Amino acid sequence: MNIYHKSKRNILILLCLMVALIFSSCSNTEINKAQGEDDGSYKIAFTDDLGKEIRMKEPAQRIISLYSAHTENLFAIGLDEEIIGVGRQDIYPPQSLEKPVFDYRSDPEKVIAAKPDVVLIRPFIQRKVPDFVAVLEKAGINVVTLYPEKFAEFDTYIQKLALLTGKEEQAANLLQDFHAGIDHISELTQNMTSKVQVYFESSENGYKTITPDSMAAKAIENAGGINVAKNAQAVTKGSSIAAFGAERILENGNDIDVFVSQRGAMNAGGNQHAISIRPGFSAIKAVKNNRVYVINEKIISSPNFRYIKGIKELTRMFYPEIVDDITRFAAEDVVTRNQMAEIAVRYKHKEIFVPTSKYYKKQYKGHTYGMFKDVAVDHPNFDFIETAVLSGYMESYKENGSEMFYPEQKITRGELAGILFMLHDLKDTQKKVNIKDINEVSNSRIVQIVVNNHLMQCDNGQFNPQQLVTGKEVVEALNQLKVLN
Amino acid sequence: MKSKITLLSLVLSLMLMVVSLVGCTQETSGEVAKDPNQKGILVVSFGTSYADTREVTIEAVENEIKDAFKDYETRRAFTSDIIIKKLKDRDGIEIDTVKQGLQKMKDDGFSEVIVQPLHVINGAEYTDVVQIASEFKSSFDKFNIGSPLLTSVEDYKAVVNALKTQLPELKDNEAVAFMGHGTHHPANSAYACFQYALEDMDVKNVFMGTVEGYPDLDNVIEKLNDNHIETVTLMPFMLVAGDHANNDMAGDEEDAWKSILKKNGFVVNTYIHGLGENKAIQELYVAHTKAAIEDNGEEE
Repeated sequence: MNIYHKSKRNILILLCLMVALIFSSCSNTEINKAQGEDDGSYKIAFTDDLGKEIRMKEPAQRIISLYSAHTENLFAIGLDEEIIGVGRQDIYPPQSLEKPVFDYRSDPEKVIAAKPDVVLIRPFIQRKVPDFVAVLEKAGINVVTLYPEKFAEFDTYIQKLALLTGKEEQAANLLQDFHAGIDHISELTQNMTSKVQVYFESSENGYKTITPDSMAAKAIENAGGINVAKNAQAVTKGSSIAAFGAERILENGNDIDVFVSQRGAMNAGGNQHAISIRPGFSAIKAVKNNRVYVINEKIISSPNFRYIKGIKELTRMFYPEIVDDITRFAAEDVVTRNQMAEIAVRYKHKEIFVPTSKYYKKQYKGHTYGMFKDVAVDHPNFDFIETAVLSGYMESYKENGSEMFYPEQKITRGELAGILFMLHDLKDTQKKVNIKDINEVSNSRIVQIVVNNHLMQCDNGQFNPQQLVTGKEVVEALNQLKVLN
Repeated sequence: MKSKITLLSLVLSLMLMVVSLVGCTQETSGEVAKDPNQKGILVVSFGTSYADTREVTIEAVENEIKDAFKDYETRRAFTSDIIIKKLKDRDGIEIDTVKQGLQKMKDDGFSEVIVQPLHVINGAEYTDVVQIASEFKSSFDKFNIGSPLLTSVEDYKAVVNALKTQLPELKDNEAVAFMGHGTHHPANSAYACFQYALEDMDVKNVFMGTVEGYPDLDNVIEKLNDNHIETVTLMPFMLVAGDHANNDMAGDEEDAWKSILKKNGFVVNTYIHGLGENKAIQELYVAHTKAAIEDNGEEE
């Protein structure tokens, strides 16, 4: 290689560099312009939670969300098609299962190849995989980092998501309903005569609780409970996890009416049995009175609209006799399956079913959460229906490969007998009642036991399995069942 | 130039010598002299994070073994890394894996070691234990691995007899259904073989099913219907009454055995005690340990 050639190559490199410099300075001026004087050409302008200025001319059309709460909230404010990818753990709402999955622990090129106009992350991801984020940003992808640390920041967080996606109006309506809902619960519970004292466990390792400004602590307050650990200090600055310890729990043992354990995440709280067998814990009032409950973190500590479900669940745990009162159903002439699901779950004081991120990794022989074709997540009794079926109280059906619940179908006597049998472990009796039409009953063994136990009566010796039941009959049968157990 | 090379090679060979010497000393200091009186039994189980059931199953069997072989030091190992981690993080309880347990016994100068797994069948987990433990074969003067509960034909018969001590008296319309774990491993055939042994020994209305293998609950329900059974008592066919027994067997969820049987019209009772609680089963594990101790590797 001669000198001439060498210098020629150097000149070429220099030229390239100059061109690159010019271009990069161009784009720099553009960002500066956006940061400095906002000329109004950016409809979307805000600062994300890592202090980055976000500027966009049009709402995002191709979004990849790498955090479950973002995914859930995007669906909640009315997006679907715009969500072109979700994170590995994202399972709610069930529609997110149909979306392509992206993993921040793997190759960022996969994300780049999907050509998103926004990638949504949270600060945790930025801390954990800074290189991944850097590669995305270098490729010109708009990475937006959001996470509300406190409940007070929830609205701003939702508004930013809405601004980013052009769903401001839907978000405003949702937030309004959300707060009205919380206020409504709070009004009902603040007048409870004797308020329950609550201990909330966030981790069984070191018996940790929650900070007083955490979402869970606010939920306890709104649900009408008194947090026993209201002076607990955060384990690290900004964390909602607070140290407490076995000794202090046991010191307060006589005051703890209700023990709530948050589950679903790594290092979460213990289950009922694990809590009850801890040394000394049998002396805690809540353990003695069988008032240890578990709640999935997704509905109590995650920044999403399901939080209101978490508050409602707490009211059921705190004031079960009042909140789960089913006598109002006695006024119904007929009872739909939809109503029956609510009655059954309230009667059993059963916690609503909330799937964990591992839930869909398994195949289920019976019903799979969220798969009813005729009960969508926004159905008013969605949680009662899912819980009644997944707890085995009520049957589900399959029609041409689709799962059906038939919420508006009315409950027959035959079906009620089946439900009563599933709600408790009934034993057969020595004395058998003679049922004339027993051969016309499909679940004859169950009906026979239910009638033998006097939970339902025959009319002139006839069971009449197809006859519809009234609300009064349902409530009376359940009262009878309660006496039996 | 030549002298330089010679010097270099001299330095190098010196360095090599030093390194190899250091290596030698390390090896000698690492080797613990074996004590002919140090004999031990490592009792291996999957483990459980629940202290209450652990005490009456795993610990109870360990104590039986301890009492039976007083010349031996009995130690514990679990095979589940998740349970070991949970106990460490939550309760500050340190439990060894099989490898750690055997390494410690080696370091402590044991001359004889018996590994007794508390597994039910000769399945994948047992095979893993054998594989890990076999690496230590040459570390001890005597080293044997005991067999799982269901190994020989005599074992099957002995287990049938052991279970008779926990079976309720059954009327014609009453049955007991055992829930075994079940496995993709060929050893899954043990469950059907055990059903055969039950029938062979004239134990009526007792049926075997598994969570993850064959026979499954549908097979059990078929047997219950064929025999006109109306009331079923569910019992775990597992060492410990843990999550499987409490949730998959006796739980209230839709897919628990209890719920499915109830939906099929059966009255269901549950017996939530692991096989490890059964005295006769504990004695069988002691007998297996004894056989491993007495096995001197001679072919019959």
